[in-house]
Amino acid sequence: MDFEITHEQRMLVETVRGFIKDELAPLEQEIEETGQLPDEIARSIFEKSRALGLYGMNIPEEFGGGGLSALETMMVEEQFGHTTDILIRRAFGNVYEVLLSCEGPQVERWLLPSVRGDRVCSIAFTEPGAGSDAAGIRTRAERKGDKWVLNGMKHYISDGAFADFFVVTAVTDPAKGHRGISMFLLDKGTPGFNIGRDQPMMGLRGTSHLDLHFDDVELTDENLLGTEGEGLKLALSVLGRVRLAQVAARSIGKATKVLQMTLDYARERVQFGQPIGEFQMVQQMLADSAMEISAARSALWQCAWEIDAGLDPRARISVLKVQGSETLGRVVDRAVQIFGGMGYSKDLPIERYYRDARIYRIFDGASEIHRGVIAKSLLKGGAQLFDPWGA
Amino acid sequence: MKVLVPVKRVIDYNVKVRVKADGSGVDLANVKMSMNPFDEIAVEEAIRLKEAGKVEEIVLVSIGVKQAQETIRTGLAMGADRGILVVAAEDVQQDIEPLAVAKILAKVVEEEQPGLVIMGKQAIDNDMNATGQMLAALMGWAQATFASKLDVDGDSATVTREVDGGLQTIRVNLPAVVTADLRLNEPRYASLPNIMKAKKKPIDEKTPADYGVDVSPRLEVVKTTEPPVRKAGEIVGSVDELVTKLKDAGVI
Ligand SMILES: Cc1cc2nc3c(=O)[nH]c(=O)nc-3n(C[C@H](O)[C@H](O)[C@H](O)COP(=O)(O)OP(=O)(O)OC[C@H]3O[C@@H](n4cnc5c(N)ncnc54)[C@H](O)[C@@H]3O)c2cc1C
Repeated sequence: MDFEITHEQRMLVETVRGFIKDELAPLEQEIEETGQLPDEIARSIFEKSRALGLYGMNIPEEFGGGGLSALETMMVEEQFGHTTDILIRRAFGNVYEVLLSCEGPQVERWLLPSVRGDRVCSIAFTEPGAGSDAAGIRTRAERKGDKWVLNGMKHYISDGAFADFFVVTAVTDPAKGHRGISMFLLDKGTPGFNIGRDQPMMGLRGTSHLDLHFDDVELTDENLLGTEGEGLKLALSVLGRVRLAQVAARSIGKATKVLQMTLDYARERVQFGQPIGEFQMVQQMLADSAMEISAARSALWQCAWEIDAGLDPRARISVLKVQGSETLGRVVDRAVQIFGGMGYSKDLPIERYYRDARIYRIFDGASEIHRGVIAKSLLKGGAQLFDPWGA
Repeated sequence: MKVLVPVKRVIDYNVKVRVKADGSGVDLANVKMSMNPFDEIAVEEAIRLKEAGKVEEIVLVSIGVKQAQETIRTGLAMGADRGILVVAAEDVQQDIEPLAVAKILAKVVEEEQPGLVIMGKQAIDNDMNATGQMLAALMGWAQATFASKLDVDGDSATVTREVDGGLQTIRVNLPAVVTADLRLNEPRYASLPNIMKAKKKPIDEKTPADYGVDVSPRLEVVKTTEPPVRKAGEIVGSVDELVTKLKDAGVI
């Protein structure tokens, strides 16, 4: 077992970290205040990042991506967690691996432009009546001759305002339940596809969360991603790695950054004639945060290693989804406590981290759903999750 | 033209330095090490000259422990072409003194025949600010230290130097030694493709014996101590209060 970080990995993380510190962090406060990242600034950070090869690093080189392993992807994703959702999207791209299922003309139309950053993709699964229950969607795609006709709606679709196209789930065969769901690639501007309101959220300022309406949207087979009826299967098989990256790794990165800020404050803030870091009750909070972050990171690296080794990572990804997001939740909560009134005040970004952190336990499968997955796997005999020596 | 850029592995500038308990020096075991920031500026300047078509090849040289290979790789990932690693110490605590470094560099220069040596004005670990000057003296070359601007034009270079009280512009004949000051440029990040390419760039490994140079120390460190702790400041409410306090303190 070798935990040594290679020099290449170190250099890469230094580049990403430096880029975030110099180019992105200075933009955060204004986005928080205005709720907007102006287009020309978005363009400029995208171009700078792309010139450094930092856009779409998770995608294999043959499609123009950075070709990072899962482990390296998690290392850079952890750094992404040091900045905000919208800045990550514009600078580094959430280029979803589900697009690697593109075939034939789809590759030129959707995959390659996404890796180049010329087109941006959002994922549209959730509906007002179907969140955790992703198979309970009502959006319907009906075959009519050689066309598909799409009707229904989605909501909370992240980055929908900026996105050029969407990966949409729809029922193609109502008789077949979750085996009757397929995925479609839907371009903005397609007749009958209307953008609804932008749902205001607790945090993640700068990122839009849209309603999408489909009224007799005509699509062809070229819009069908993967095999008809296997939409949910495809989602399950490829979105796990996204979840590990965008939720677990980013949570751990965010927690790390928040703990560093908390340590600095605990050293400097003096009450009763001494730095508050000298008080044992504060020390306990600091120690707990450090222990939880380091445990979560080790588990993250193990999970990434399993992906690179070709093992089935699904149950462990659920472990990390919960462990990462809940670690972040506890770490930011302690941070607010240790910062006291300053932690609650808008003069410091701590309250923003606190609000932004909350969604990590909900989206991409709420903690309860992933605990369910973990428990099911355990009961089916998946002892490896907690006992590497087990059967 | 070929440019030689010496690069040193030093304690990272972000690390909070700890003096060893026995006062023999600074603790370098298990701390983050990086390329000396002034050397990064020197590498950047060489790359810019190459991008401007004035330089064909950039050779990095590092003298120190084996791990200095990483320092060279960092420069290769920024865009330099190849490296020479002179393994002159086994103990990470051992520093090679400026004269020994300059003597080895002089031999490397004789072998490589660069038209220009660009190096950091000093290393941030012991702030000697001597190696560049010594190398120029050993070679009998022109030197332009503390450069904040460098223009290479044919067989001469125009260098703006940051001197006490202002800027001085000089012209030197090439070959020459130029040492980089803080404002010469802002070093780039290593891009992902360049980090990957750097793995394949060659690094030659040498020893001081290959150059016939004795690196044994000539200086003796008598004692290393922490700098005195700065006293906490005080925020005053008005100019009058400030003046009163300064008077009370006997400063004005
Ligand atoms: C900021 C934000 C961004 C989002 N971005 C996107 C996006 O880009 N694309 C997209 O498709 N969706 C997106 N979503 C939707 C998100 O994935 C869902 O909100 C999430 O899956 C939960 O669904 P729900 O909100 O309908 O909650 P519900 O499913 O109604 O859950 C409510 C509560 O019930 C619990 N619960 C539900 N079922 C069970 C069960 N079987 N056992 C135990 N407890 C259960 C849940 O854990 C939760 O606590 C986003 C949401 C937000 C808030």
